This record gives sequence, C-alpha cells and structure tokens, in this order.
Amino acid sequence: MLLSIEPDGPVPIYQQIRDRIVEAIARGRQPAGSALPPIRQLAVDLGVNFHTVNKGYDLLRQEGLLRLGRKSGAVVRRDAGSGPPDPGWTQDWTGRLRTLLAEAAAQGMSATDIVAECEAAIADFAFPAVAAEA
Amino acid sequence: MSTGALLAAALPVLAVGALMCSLPAVTRPILQFGVRVPPERAEAPVIRRERRAYYWRTAAIGAGFALVAVTVQGHCPSWVPRVILVPELAAGLGCFWVARRKIAAVKNADSWFAGLRQTVVADTTWRTDPPRFPVRWLMPALAVMAATAAVGALRYPGLPAHIVTGSGHRVPKSAVLALVVAGQLYFTAVYSGLMLIVHHSRPDIEAADPAASTLRYRRFLAAFSRALLTMAALIDASLLLIALPDWQVYRLSGIGRALPVLPFAAGVLLLGAVAARTGQGGSRLNGNVHGLAPPAGIDRDDDRFWKAGLLYVNRDDPALVVGARFGVGWAPNFGNRAAWLLVAGTVAAWAGLALLGAAAGM
Repeated sequence: MLLSIEPDGPVPIYQQIRDRIVEAIARGRQPAGSALPPIRQLAVDLGVNFHTVNKGYDLLRQEGLLRLGRKSGAVVRRDAGSGPPDPGWTQDWTGRLRTLLAEAAAQGMSATDIVAECEAAIADFAFPAVAAEA
Repeated sequence: MSTGALLAAALPVLAVGALMCSLPAVTRPILQFGVRVPPERAEAPVIRRERRAYYWRTAAIGAGFALVAVTVQGHCPSWVPRVILVPELAAGLGCFWVARRKIAAVKNADSWFAGLRQTVVADTTWRTDPPRFPVRWLMPALAVMAATAAVGALRYPGLPAHIVTGSGHRVPKSAVLALVVAGQLYFTAVYSGLMLIVHHSRPDIEAADPAASTLRYRRFLAAFSRALLTMAALIDASLLLIALPDWQVYRLSGIGRALPVLPFAAGVLLLGAVAARTGQGGSRLNGNVHGLAPPAGIDRDDDRFWKAGLLYVNRDDPALVVGARFGVGWAPNFGNRAAWLLVAGTVAAWAGLALLGAAAGM
C-alpha cells in the first residue's frame, strides 16, 4: 500500500494517516488480517514523529478498524466483507454525512453534482454489493 | 622521476576530479546541486547552464591539481602529495555551492513550488516485505580476514621482534599485525553496519512515480549492498597484501610494489560502475518501469532541512540516515542524536586506525 501525506497541508498529519489507511481498507488493498507497518517504522518512512503515527493508529483502533498488539503489531480488524457495522457507529456516521452534505449544499453544490461525486467514490471502493454485482 | 611515481601522484587526484565531475549525472533530476525542484523544472535554463558550468569547472580543477601533483612529486616533503586531495575537494565543493546558490535564487524568486501539491509517500510493503541483507556477500570479507589470521598465526612466531616495513620504518612486529587486523575489522564492520542500517531505513520514493521508484530502489539497494560488501573484501585483501611482505612471505620491487593497491582500485572501479549504472536511489534503472501507480503529487520541498545542501538536520524526522542529496549514497540525520553517536564512533575508530598506522610506520 502506498501511503501519501501532505506534511504542510491544512489537515493534521495523524488525521491524514488515518484517512489514507481507511481508504486503503475500503479499496480492498488492506484486507482484514493484513499487517500494517509498526508505528516506529512508519514514522521513519514518513519522516514524522512517532507520536503522530501513534495518534493516527489509535484513532483507527478506537473506530474498530485496527488491532494493536505487542506481538502481532498493527493488524487490520475489519474490512468491507466483515459484515454490517454496529448500529451505534452507523448512527454516528449518518450524522457526519449529513454535516458533509450540508457543507456541500451551503457552498452551492448542486444535488446532481453531489450524487455524481458519491457515485464516483462508491465505484472506487470495494463494497460487498458492488463486488457481487460485478 | 619514474613513470610509476608520476602515475601514483596523478591517479588519485584525477580519480577525485572524475568523481566530482560525474556526481550531477548520477543524481536524480529533481535534486539539482542539493536544491529540490519540481519535475517539470528539471531542465530549466538556469539548471542546464549551471550543470554545464559545473562540469567545466570541476574538470579544470581535476586537471589542474593533477598537474600540481605531478610537478611537486619528488620536490616536496612526502606528505604534500597526500594532502593535495583536500584543497581539490574544497574547490569542488565551492563549485557545488556556486551552482546551488544560483539555482536556489531562481527557484525562490519564481516560486517554483507555489500551488503544487507537495507530498511524502511511504510504501508499507517496504516493512511488511522488507529487503533482505545479503549475508552471503559478507562471506568473501570474512574469508579474507580468516586467511589473514591464518597467515599471521603461521608467520608471527618466526618473525624477529622488530621488522622493517615496506616504507623503511623499523617497528614492533605486533604493530603490523594489530594494524592489519584492526583495519580489516573496521572496514568490514563499517560497510556491513552501514548497509544493515540502510536496510532498516526508508527508501527514496518519488511522489510523482511512487510504486516504480520503490521497485527501482529495491534493485539499487541489492546491487549497491553487494558492491559495498565486495569492496570491503577487496580492501581487506589490500591490507593483507600490504602485510605479507612485512611478514616476509614474499618480496616485491619496482612496479610490483603497487600490487596491494590493485584490489582497492578494483573495488573503487566496481563501486563507481554500480553507482553509474543505478544512479541515485536507482533513478537510472529500468527507464521503462513507470506508472505502476498514479502520481501522489510531487515531492515535498525539503531544502530547509539540508544545511549547505549536503547535511540533513531534521529533529522531527526519526530516521537515522536518509538518501544522500548529491551523488549516490546516504547521509546521517544530524537532527537525531543517535546519528551523532554513529558518526562520532566511525570517526573515532578511523582516528584510532590512523594512530595505529602511524605506530606501524605506514
């Protein structure tokens, strides 16, 4: 998996690390059970502080996407084929999605453009339903 | 004045001149004289002009210093030809800084990186499927060390307490043995230690072509590790050949006295050939392997972390060593305390070796 970040960008680096790993899981490039580099090694590879990577990994652990063990290291816990998410998580995600859509609407984006963007993103990710149809 | 002596004086100076002159050719196009530039600016007029000027300047410096070395040979104290490489290197460094200053001035004035998406890319397969250190290629160096120990053990008891070295100095026999063993240990440990560290460091990945550049770096690392470990074996062989006449195994005269230099020279040529073939971080390898993954932006403008264009100082970067900015190789991260310890240890060991060499009359 290629993980790219913008160190001088407006998004915090730990958030970028978290986002790129979520995208890799969604695309099927990091399936459940696959290993991620240890925190120290990823920090060396990205040229950032250990704590920054640790923070990104910890976010993923809290979201249930990553398992962090002393011996096993960082392992992906869930992917598109792991079954439906917890109802609580879905409720939280729906709230965040509404905020994102509200931002687009507030900025003057048309509903057609929003749907087109969503469809493009969906086509990019390895949803179980999309895979079955293909 | 013999032809051999003149060659001995001129060749090292010419070799250093050729090395300085060739460095821009093996460096990545996006790193021009220590200045990071966007890929589309790699052939900017200022860069082409400064590259051309650098080639001419360093070629003239190499030729000029070679002429001086040949002229002073036999007319000056013996240490003069040895130190002539220092001002030559300093002059080459001056040429580098002139080119760097001019390119950086245009880059900053025209804001080459303004509005570009600057990224850093990591390839997680580098850690989940890491490159392996070529242990087998360490065997020749260990074999030469074992051969040295065997010959030394056989010859040492029969030698007189003091021996006359090839340079005419009368030294204790233990001094020669200590120098050869310590020298072989030093070079083998430094080269294999460096490659071990590099195998655990980050690869040089180009954001504009991340997957292919990782692949090229893997091939570069494999080739360069083997070449460097072979170089260690050849240096060990040179040290053994230096010791053999002192241990009265054989005697050499005339041009034959240059025999110990041959393995070392072969190692330098091998390393130079590998560096010329692979380029910096494998940038000259397999030109047709491109576009394995979409570009992830362009490499981040990191000039501020490179002091004088050559020394990497970044306290936020936990890396011990990073890819060299100019030429082929690696540079320590002076923002990391462990790198200071590493450099200090290497220099201290080298100083110890030099003292031992002085004690052994070499």
